Amino acid sequence: MTKLDKPNVTLFHCINSIDEKLTKSYIHKRNINVKLISLPCSSLVKDVYLLRAFEAGADAVAVLVCPENQCRHLQGSIRARKRVERTKKILEEIGLDQERLSVINVSITDQLAVSKILQEIVAGLSDLGPIRVAA
Amino acid sequence: MIVGEQKPVREIIDTIIRYKKLLILGCGTCVKTCFVGGEDEVAALASALRLALKQEDRKIEIEEQTVERQCENEFIQEAANAVARNEAVLSLACGAGVQALAKRFGDTPVLPGVNTTFIGIQQKPGLFTEECQGCGNCVLAVFGGICPITRCSKKLLNGPCGGSQKGRCEINPETECAWQLIIDRLTLLGQHKNLRAYIPPKNWQPSISGGPRKYIREDHII
Amino acid sequence: MNALPLSRLHSVLLKGEFAVTAECGPPRGANEEVVKQKAQLLKGYVDAVNVTDNQTAIVRMSSIAASALLLQIGLEPVMQMVVRDRNRIALQSDLLGAYALGMRNILCLSGDHQAFGSQPDALNVFDIDSTHLIHTVKTMRDEGKDMSGYALDKPPRMFIGAAANPFADPFEYRVVRLAKKIDAGVDFIQTQCIYNMDRFKKWIHLAREEGLTEKAYILGGITPLKSSGMARYMKNKVAGMDVPDEIIKRMDNVEKKKAADEGIKICLETIEELKEINGVSGIHIMAIEWEEKVPEIVKNAGLKN
Repeated sequence: MTKLDKPNVTLFHCINSIDEKLTKSYIHKRNINVKLISLPCSSLVKDVYLLRAFEAGADAVAVLVCPENQCRHLQGSIRARKRVERTKKILEEIGLDQERLSVINVSITDQLAVSKILQEIVAGLSDLGPIRVAA
Repeated sequence: MIVGEQKPVREIIDTIIRYKKLLILGCGTCVKTCFVGGEDEVAALASALRLALKQEDRKIEIEEQTVERQCENEFIQEAANAVARNEAVLSLACGAGVQALAKRFGDTPVLPGVNTTFIGIQQKPGLFTEECQGCGNCVLAVFGGICPITRCSKKLLNGPCGGSQKGRCEINPETECAWQLIIDRLTLLGQHKNLRAYIPPKNWQPSISGGPRKYIREDHII
Repeated sequence: MNALPLSRLHSVLLKGEFAVTAECGPPRGANEEVVKQKAQLLKGYVDAVNVTDNQTAIVRMSSIAASALLLQIGLEPVMQMVVRDRNRIALQSDLLGAYALGMRNILCLSGDHQAFGSQPDALNVFDIDSTHLIHTVKTMRDEGKDMSGYALDKPPRMFIGAAANPFADPFEYRVVRLAKKIDAGVDFIQTQCIYNMDRFKKWIHLAREEGLTEKAYILGGITPLKSSGMARYMKNKVAGMDVPDEIIKRMDNVEKKKAADEGIKICLETIEELKEINGVSGIHIMAIEWEEKVPEIVKNAGLKN
């Protein structure tokens, strides 16, 4: 398996779930290419966006959503989770590991959340390796 | 509306495998409403196919387009240029749309990406149920607006069978017993009389049993 | 009701005797000996034997063929016919054939949905429903015409039966449906297995009030329980079955070895009660894969000596 020197990770997030500035400063220090895509509500995420993130080269994609009882739009994070579950099935159908896509509840008060999440994703990717593509 | 389900991606790949340039053509009417064949689904399927084929070292160019209605020639016409640019068309419309395309573009292979399932309604967001079988001889007036041909698993005109329990159908507890609904509705409407009446056997000639059907409006034919 | 007997079962009922029918499921194969052996067990203990038509939607020897085998060994069949697998053309044709082969009783049913069977991928038919089939057989017999109105050369003269389930929902409508079947031309009714006697009594009371027990003979359904497991299965898994908790408790409270005896005891008690009910003309014993118990039940119930 090819080792991932600098993994590509795309994070979709609800603007209410993380502190963007803090997150960016943290990412800056790590050996990861992170694309941050902020959404006014995580429920705006769609299967096609997640798939296109993989097409654009992401090794892993995560959707950071607010805790279920703290969604400003009531069911946004529940909807986001369902979209992700559906997209995971598509990934499985096309032979991509479901583990590459995740949905995680994050509270804005937890300042270490994103760093922990990225650590886990990177750890997971060391098992999965890069997505196999045509030379 | 006509309801369908997207075919498994694997099955779709098997049908498109020999083509290098593919048009995925959506339909903006029924199948869009039931989330199988509108712009969003065309885009997601295109992305999934590209990802899948990339992993298999196969190259494919996918073009995406969605027309208002694939079952009408005027709308299909809008896709003519895109069809001409591609080797095949993967249609995300119902079976009527697929066949309309095949008729219009006689020398281009047209493949179905959707399994057309039924004529139904959206009960609540994300839940679609079958309501009509297009039997050609509507009996809803007698049954309080609930179709036993479609919604009773045994098509009973003189139901319910002995398997109706607590308002549920014996073949699937998640399915409502159509006859319980009919009885409730006719009772509400004060039409008990219909429940006691012997409903004679159905004439299936106007249905698909009578062969493929046609509807002709002379005044519209020039 | 017809005054001249159409079949032996009919003549027993006409005489006012308490009729006994039992059930014989044809084999999953072409082995005629199995049919004959099963039926032989019943000889002398029953007035007629129901021959099921691909019950639970599992392919078995056809009910017409198995009925013909029963005739060969001198037993009278009640040929069951479901509308699941045959359209009206096939049903009418088989009906004429069955009569020509000597069958005189028919039981008109919808049939278990194929989703329950071994071949759920089959297309079902349901061209007509069970009530239509009753009406069709009646019209053939009494007017000598098939469904198209064509006058038949020698109409089949069948004694016409149907099923009724007093335990299905909605309860109030069960008697209405019985009335519809009787209007359509039913001569006798065999009911779903009775475990909930209270509900059965309520149902027959309503039927009596409507004068229905005067228009058709009603045979109460009996199925002996083999074990408490079977009782639970019937309660929870079989659609349209009503097994009250008291029955389950009784089956639970005996040793495993004696459970079958308890099952027979319950069934004998049920028969005793049915004998006393005004409007019940007999019993129909469905001893599922337990046909050998039928003689014992009939003897101990003091019937057919």
